Amino acid sequence: MQFLQAFLNGLLVGGVYALIASGMALIFGVMRLVNFAHGAFLMLGTYLSFYGWTLLGLNPYLAFPLWGAVLFGVAVGTYRLLVRRVMGASDFLQILLTEGISLAIIGAAQLAFGADYRQINLPIANRITSLGPLHFSVGYILSFAVSLALVIALQQFLSRTEMGRAIRAVAQNRTVAPLMGIRVERVSAITFGLGIACAGVAGALLLPIFWTNPTVGGPYTLKSFVIVVLGGMGSVQGAALGGLLLGVAEQFTAYTWADRYAEVVNFVIFLAVLLFRPQGLFGGKG
Amino acid sequence: MHVRRLVLTVAALALAACQQSKPGRLGIITALTGTQQAFGQAHDRGYEMALEEINASGGVLGRPLEILKYDDQSKADIAAQGVAKLVDQDKVSALIGSYSSESTKAIVPLVARKGIPLLMPTATADNVLENTQGWSFRLCSGATDYANAMVRFWKEAGTPKSVAIVYENTNFGQANGAAMKKAATEANIPIATEESYTAKSPSYTAMLQKVKEKSPDAIYFASYLLDATSLMHQSRQVDLNPRYFTAAGTGFSTPEFPTEEKGAGKDADHTFSVTQWMPESKWPGSAQFAEKFKAKYGTTPAYHAVQAYVALKVMAEAVRKAGKWDPVAIRDALKATDMPETTFGPVKFDARGQNLHPVLVTQIQKGKYVIVNPKSEATGDPVLPTPKWSER
Repeated sequence: MQFLQAFLNGLLVGGVYALIASGMALIFGVMRLVNFAHGAFLMLGTYLSFYGWTLLGLNPYLAFPLWGAVLFGVAVGTYRLLVRRVMGASDFLQILLTEGISLAIIGAAQLAFGADYRQINLPIANRITSLGPLHFSVGYILSFAVSLALVIALQQFLSRTEMGRAIRAVAQNRTVAPLMGIRVERVSAITFGLGIACAGVAGALLLPIFWTNPTVGGPYTLKSFVIVVLGGMGSVQGAALGGLLLGVAEQFTAYTWADRYAEVVNFVIFLAVLLFRPQGLFGGKG
Repeated sequence: MHVRRLVLTVAALALAACQQSKPGRLGIITALTGTQQAFGQAHDRGYEMALEEINASGGVLGRPLEILKYDDQSKADIAAQGVAKLVDQDKVSALIGSYSSESTKAIVPLVARKGIPLLMPTATADNVLENTQGWSFRLCSGATDYANAMVRFWKEAGTPKSVAIVYENTNFGQANGAAMKKAATEANIPIATEESYTAKSPSYTAMLQKVKEKSPDAIYFASYLLDATSLMHQSRQVDLNPRYFTAAGTGFSTPEFPTEEKGAGKDADHTFSVTQWMPESKWPGSAQFAEKFKAKYGTTPAYHAVQAYVALKVMAEAVRKAGKWDPVAIRDALKATDMPETTFGPVKFDARGQNLHPVLVTQIQKGKYVIVNPKSEATGDPVLPTPKWSER
């Protein structure tokens, strides 16, 4: 029973990871861009959620589409201004640029919001619900449910819509796609916007169950890398499953061994996948 | 030729010696950003208040005191860089810092190598007193004092049948976990389990579940603030009900912790913690410091702020005694410090550089810290046993 509890709690955390990593996988898959600024955008999502609640009284569980839209806009702007210039450039340049964007965002956040940590006290998120001997935090359930719904919606969008097909076409072949009449620039901007919106919404959903400060995103950038590798580089579906798996792995490690080894296990999984199954656990081709 | 070169070298060396430190400057390292920012902010405020008072009464050695702050971003490697920056570039004559035990441990050997005295205001891990080579001094009490104070309280209030030790996995948590293990074992209290965790994790439920399975009579946490908040919320979630929730100060002993806006709110109620100072402490100026602090910053200070405040005053006094801005002279003056009446109690360092400072035990009752031990200082009685979550 306790195992089941740990497993379910892992899934609940993993749902949010899945959303964060789906965004990163999308950006990587379509743009071949390793986005080191992912966590910084997630942090912006937490602050939007924070000020939305404290200043405007907007419940994060209802207002998240708004925060996603804001971050989509910010990301498209960032793409047009900066990211566009390193498309097709060496990995090294891309990493420098996204890391630079990350530092700039964190620095600006420290100036604008202060280094002070923030949390909100959402009554519903603090409630506990019990199912027999199992106890769950309502906040975690809500964050999980919204995240998972969004991950599924993202996949439907990619497979069913015209835009989604265009995005997948660019992911498959950047050179041939424009010959089919696809505007690669526009698709890239939208992809970057969508990927960042995922991170931002995940941040908005994390706030009621966690806390924030300008440096809160760092660990999530790292976790996303692990998940993206786990799921098969650039596979959005794989990243979603990888996120759930990582959440469960962390909680199992904490339950059976020790919480401090959760991070170790993360990176052992990361290395093992790279060594033995570089196409990812759910990736098709080698 | 040789003579000329020798003269030049000596002149250069002499010049270098002159530039070794600029008069009037003290360096401060603390966590102004990052996960320990709440504590760095408390430090910062304490330093500011002391600086204002020192300069209002004429500064030090006839000139206003200047402090240069360096943010370690709650990271030990950045703290180490801070020593190089403050000493080599800014030419400070002495250092105070850092906030965490992890950061402080990293700078202790560096200041010894550079020959700059360091005053440690808050690092509780006892290993910060290793490898000081006489250059570092600690104002606060340490992990061993914390654990002993808690065990003393338990003996008076009803010795627990077992204790679970839960600590964050850096120098501070490890040291306090180990100190409690030793103190509990000496008092014949069985250790139910020992759990360590990473302070940035969003969920501790699996770990707390594991603790619950051992049904400990008491839990001793060594946690910073954000993790302390999550731990208490999630203890409610997993319905963990020991007789005592206790803690090694720090996160569990901040003005933010019992608030809904910045801490665990109601879930913080009934927790016990060791602490090093309270506004009700009988030392001269404690109540006035608390009032002045509250008027200035809008919150009641915890011990972290007063440690910073007194650390700067102790350092200023050492410079006055030394009579010059010379690191060796300041170190010797620190060694000879004897200030019986500071806001943080008597300050006097033993041969290891440790200031002997008593530890109090508090309990949060209806959102307020109440001193419950030792009896001579108590402002209220402990509420026991801790009510079950379902009955709160």
